[in-house]
Amino acid sequence: MSELKHLKKEWKAVFSCMGCGDCGYAIRPAVGRYLTCPVKEAKGEEGFEIIFSRGRMNVLKSLLEGQIPLSKELAKWVYQCSECGNCTEVCHMTQNENIILPTCKWIDHVKVWEALRKDLIESGFAPLDRHGNIINYMNNDTMKNPYGEEKSKKFEWIKEFPEMKDRGEFMFFGGCTMPLRQVDTLKNMMKILKAAGVEIAISKDEWCCGSIGLRIGDISPLTDIAKHNIETFNNLGAKIIFTACAGCYRTWKKDYPELLGEVLPFEVKHITEILIDMLNSNKIPFKSDVGEKIKVTYHDPCHLGRHMNLYEIPRELISKIPGIMLIEMKRNRKNAWCCGAGGGVKSQFTDLAIEISKERIREALESGAEILTTSCPFCIGNLNDAYNQMGPEIQEKIKLIDIIDFIASRI
Amino acid sequence: MSELYKKLETIVSDKYLSNDIYVRHAYSRNVDIVLQGVPDIVIRPKDAQEISEILKVANEENVSVIPRGAGICEFGGSKPIGDNGIVLDLKRMDNILKLDEENLIVTVEAGISWGKLNENLCHFGLYTGCMGPGSGMSASIGGGISHHSVGGGGCAKFGACTNQLVSLEVVLPTGEIIETGSQANRFSKFPFNKFGNGPDLAGLFCGDNGIFGVKTKVSLQVFPKPEFAEYKTFQLPRKEREVSAKILSEIRHKGIDVYDAIYLMDLLVRIYTQEGVMPMWNQLKKKRGVIFYTVEANTERELAEKVNQLDKIMQDNKTEYLGSDISEGNIARWHYEEQGHWQFYHNLWGMFPTMQPLTAECFCPINIYPKIMDDIDQWDVEHDGDMRKIFEVAGNRPITGSGPILLINGNNVEITCGFASFGSYINGEMHHFIEDLNVALWKSLLERVTKHGVQWYMMGEFMSRLMVDIGAFSEEFYKLMKLIKKTVDPNMILSRGKFNFWGDK
Repeated sequence: MSELKHLKKEWKAVFSCMGCGDCGYAIRPAVGRYLTCPVKEAKGEEGFEIIFSRGRMNVLKSLLEGQIPLSKELAKWVYQCSECGNCTEVCHMTQNENIILPTCKWIDHVKVWEALRKDLIESGFAPLDRHGNIINYMNNDTMKNPYGEEKSKKFEWIKEFPEMKDRGEFMFFGGCTMPLRQVDTLKNMMKILKAAGVEIAISKDEWCCGSIGLRIGDISPLTDIAKHNIETFNNLGAKIIFTACAGCYRTWKKDYPELLGEVLPFEVKHITEILIDMLNSNKIPFKSDVGEKIKVTYHDPCHLGRHMNLYEIPRELISKIPGIMLIEMKRNRKNAWCCGAGGGVKSQFTDLAIEISKERIREALESGAEILTTSCPFCIGNLNDAYNQMGPEIQEKIKLIDIIDFIASRI
Repeated sequence: MSELYKKLETIVSDKYLSNDIYVRHAYSRNVDIVLQGVPDIVIRPKDAQEISEILKVANEENVSVIPRGAGICEFGGSKPIGDNGIVLDLKRMDNILKLDEENLIVTVEAGISWGKLNENLCHFGLYTGCMGPGSGMSASIGGGISHHSVGGGGCAKFGACTNQLVSLEVVLPTGEIIETGSQANRFSKFPFNKFGNGPDLAGLFCGDNGIFGVKTKVSLQVFPKPEFAEYKTFQLPRKEREVSAKILSEIRHKGIDVYDAIYLMDLLVRIYTQEGVMPMWNQLKKKRGVIFYTVEANTERELAEKVNQLDKIMQDNKTEYLGSDISEGNIARWHYEEQGHWQFYHNLWGMFPTMQPLTAECFCPINIYPKIMDDIDQWDVEHDGDMRKIFEVAGNRPITGSGPILLINGNNVEITCGFASFGSYINGEMHHFIEDLNVALWKSLLERVTKHGVQWYMMGEFMSRLMVDIGAFSEEFYKLMKLIKKTVDPNMILSRGKFNFWGDK
């Protein structure tokens, strides 16, 4: 039987779960809470309790008590979780600053799931097949990205921007998804920055931030990745690095300092934090002829919202774009429904991830929005896959667009 | 694959059936920290017909079946007693079947949560009155009916949730499907009343703790939600237990239809502020208990009159009003406007890491609860030695006390009482003596409270058996209950072991 090295460190969290089941069933309209687990709901009638947090915690109690072993079969259940953290939110939920449930001090579900995943990896029961491929790609010196693309491909888009510096105080961390799958959005980001007169630098020696490995539980290469990336940007004189990816943002800002036990030598920002500064100092030259107001709703990426508490800046950004009316979906901010892509679900359980995104798109439509926007390439990618499957009856009513592309279209 | 599994597979598809060891362990526990029972199989039926067939197979194979709604019993009620049997997960059955707006009756599948039902009803300006158990935003309607649940809101005005019951569809342990109330008449077009057509057979299944049948369809009265409401919180003077009881009694004697009236003892206020749970009470100079009310009305004038009467009772009893905002300590506003949170009802839970409840919930008349609370304190003093043994390993001493005292129907209150303790697993090691001690202390405390003559309503594995073990049931009552059980469930397959209905049957 495995030593459960990582899970044992989380024993307080596991045994502090009281089994109340709100992580599976809670509906509390007065505070915008309409259910909790996107995976459970997407599974629909097949949703055995092991799918959501309480059932899984019961299994972990039995694991720690030595009643049952780790196994590959367990791994198949465990990886059907997008690690969105909505269970943590409901577990701690008083929704009122004057009342604080003590569980919020003891239970961080995502940390527990990641500890279990680390143990599964170290015991040889994980990664699952597709996750294994991703890890291999990331560890491959000719790739260093989870998409299995040649390293150089990540930087092809830069050719169109000869003005891009290769060192400086204000540096962009491109990550993998946008440079390899959403290049047009990167080009639009450059369009906005150029219009605002902002110069940036980029390193062609950045590696994947390691987020996917962390979420899957393969932490062995992560220290090297973090040190390499920090050293690379530090040596290039960075004072601020920013990223347009919510996953990279969380990894840089939260995971690297925790992993290394040190403060980073520069500030880490998300693109929305950069754009709002530019907007507030009137640097973004929006079109003046905007026509009728368009209703836009914003999807909170889990890695930006629940994981990093960045809720209001993207909203401020959207609401200040001329001709826009920001409206909220029924579930927003801390209660936001996940897109389903995180935690390795997109790569290993693609259909499940898409089902979850469909639910989010339907919710956006119900809000009356004409445009659904977000600020995470991983969310956009998955939402887009769902959107493309949903047919013209949906597509004619609502458009899906990255916040960067949307701003670029208005200047 | 077992013969049983193969037979069940012919009833539901394998998507809804599992003997996977991890799935089974996911269903092996409820809320308490000591009771576990791992089922052999978990099955998720879609309707009464499938349940009927499952129960027939269980009889053929002599296998126990335990119905499970949202699985939130605090006393091991919705997992097997021992490692065996089939858990019947009813959460697939969570649809609203019909809202009869004209007759103000809603019919739902029993696995639906109170939260989901009330969310739907609110779009019609309606609610269920009693909002089910404290865990109402998640707990199932079927579970509430099986336990006469209270606590989710409205139980001072509407009483236990079974008060609103109109009719039930139940699958008997031998597989027959029956309907009760007005639906006992096969010419009845829709459910409209619980009583009549002979004896109240729905009542047989209300509060049965899942031993007489599996509830599959529930018809409940619903009510227009009044437009106006007020909610106020007060700090109690000295001798708070007696004063709070006097206040609750006066509310009843004056006939004010308060929606909720709840007393939180000084221990809770003290620990809450000490541990940072209720920053809104930090300003309280004396950490005495608080009492709050919520009241509803159809007009402003009616509301004002009710508030005047309630405030006069509070003033006459020398309580101190805490102010209107939640930040001023008005937990009543949070409870009503933001629908509170059910862990607020079990406020010692999770106070320290891994601290969990070994409690039970009972009804008793208003005028005896102060004595019960005093005796619970006395019990704690008497068992300090054992508590300290747990402290030495866990690093914190278990805490004994009563959760909120809730005014319910009649001159009665609901008391959640017991102690919050720690499990056997501590920092990588199993300390089995803690489990033994927890069980012994839990039994000891609940036996003590039982002897005050209270009525346990949510009994699960623990209380249903303890009542028998300590000879608390009157002989005639227990005999009749057993006779009914034998009649409806000759093989004792349903919720086997509860009330000790197994062994010699």
